[in-house]
Amino acid sequence: MLIITNLKKEYSGKQILNGVELHIKKGEILGFVGSNGAGKTTTLNSITGIIEHDEGTITINGASKLELLHYKKQFFFIPDTINVFKNISGYDWIRFVMKLYDSDQTERMKRFISQFEMEEAMPKAMGTYSYGMLHKLMLIVGFTINPPIMIMDEPLNGLDPNSVLTFKKLVKSYVEEGGTVFFSTHLLDIAEKICTTVAILKDGKIILHEKIENVVGEHTLESLFMEKQNVEY
Amino acid sequence: MTSFYILTKKEYVQMFREFKLIWLPLVFMFLGATQPVVTYYLPSILAALGGNQGITIDPAMTQQDGAQVMAATLGSQFDQLGIMVIVIAMMGIIQSDKANGMLDFILTRPVTVGSYIGGKIFSNFLFVALSVTFGYFVSFVYAHFLFSHMPFLDMIFAIIFYLLWVLFIIAFTTMVSTIFNGQGVIALISIVSLLVLKILSGLHPIMDLLNPAGMSQQAMLVLITGSVDSYLYGNMLITFIWIALMVMVSHYWISGKKYHKD
Repeated sequence: MLIITNLKKEYSGKQILNGVELHIKKGEILGFVGSNGAGKTTTLNSITGIIEHDEGTITINGASKLELLHYKKQFFFIPDTINVFKNISGYDWIRFVMKLYDSDQTERMKRFISQFEMEEAMPKAMGTYSYGMLHKLMLIVGFTINPPIMIMDEPLNGLDPNSVLTFKKLVKSYVEEGGTVFFSTHLLDIAEKICTTVAILKDGKIILHEKIENVVGEHTLESLFMEKQNVEY
Repeated sequence: MTSFYILTKKEYVQMFREFKLIWLPLVFMFLGATQPVVTYYLPSILAALGGNQGITIDPAMTQQDGAQVMAATLGSQFDQLGIMVIVIAMMGIIQSDKANGMLDFILTRPVTVGSYIGGKIFSNFLFVALSVTFGYFVSFVYAHFLFSHMPFLDMIFAIIFYLLWVLFIIAFTTMVSTIFNGQGVIALISIVSLLVLKILSGLHPIMDLLNPAGMSQQAMLVLITGSVDSYLYGNMLITFIWIALMVMVSHYWISGKKYHKD
């Protein structure tokens, strides 16, 4: 599904990504973890095309960045910082983004709006939304569009406990429908419950990519992460 | 539905929510009315207010006709205050998307840089062109009733030539808005550059050929003389080339992610 080979990126003389190798299979829910500055966001930004990487290749569903529009249709990206037009309503925004993906699934959209309890907020201008509401809005659009892979940078940030539960359910049903999920997070306990696989990034390299069941048992994901960071737990 | 169409539609939704769809045409209608009304009533205004200071109108002064008043609307109102208004309305065209992260958001969707820039320039040009045309027709109505009639065809040709200059203004402001990050800097660079081009127009025929502001001169010439000069087609072609260059620079800047600070 998503294949990253030897991904390298340097910023102002500092090597941020140092040959990232990752192969995410269809149906995988991959939790992408790492310390601050490990290169998680740079990896996600390289995949989504926000930045250009220096070396390496990325393909999604066989499409490379050279096939730009086809490539971009393979994923839906939810960034950590959600930027919207503040004076446009949630409804107008969702319809705008859906049209960019040639998606017209109004009933599906209404279902997700209801599941995230956003009915009242939708007609209001997005400038009035909280951080968590903007995250919910993006999740609604992403699940409605139903792309082959959802790529998310800290999707759980700002979500209330009910919405985290809804997120878990929706991720599972999305994967059952044939989707793939790749998200970065710092919330290791939640990642342990949702993810089927985990990848740990350290100093711009993947140091572990394993099925959750193979790494969690005697350990928790948190203790494993600390061990890999050489931090006493 | 193409992304160009969707992005164009989104621009209009935003303009509506920001009330730009209302205030910009009103400003140009006001500017359009100002020139004929002030010119017509100037003797009365001076008689009422200026007499005390010894200011009077020379009774031997030639009365302006409608076409000259219309030309003054383009050259004095639209090319001075009008340029500033257009630049202020357009200075955030790309800059605001860069500043609030919307540019990154849109470009990670199935959208090409070409359709993004195209949608921006097309939607804003169409809107500004309509606003300018409204103002122009308001000026025409006043000039027709207060001064004299002018050939309708000359008036149409004049606005077509003038709108090519407007298209250049939009393309130029878009390019500056793509490259620079502060709205003040964008406004300053755009207004000063465009006014310098305007001041330089009419100084020398060869310079006019290369100067997009020459299209404004051509518009005034059609109104006043009813004919165009021999440089018109060359001037049009070169203005189109300038516009294409501006669009290419904007495209290069965005697709090369040069707006990101390392």
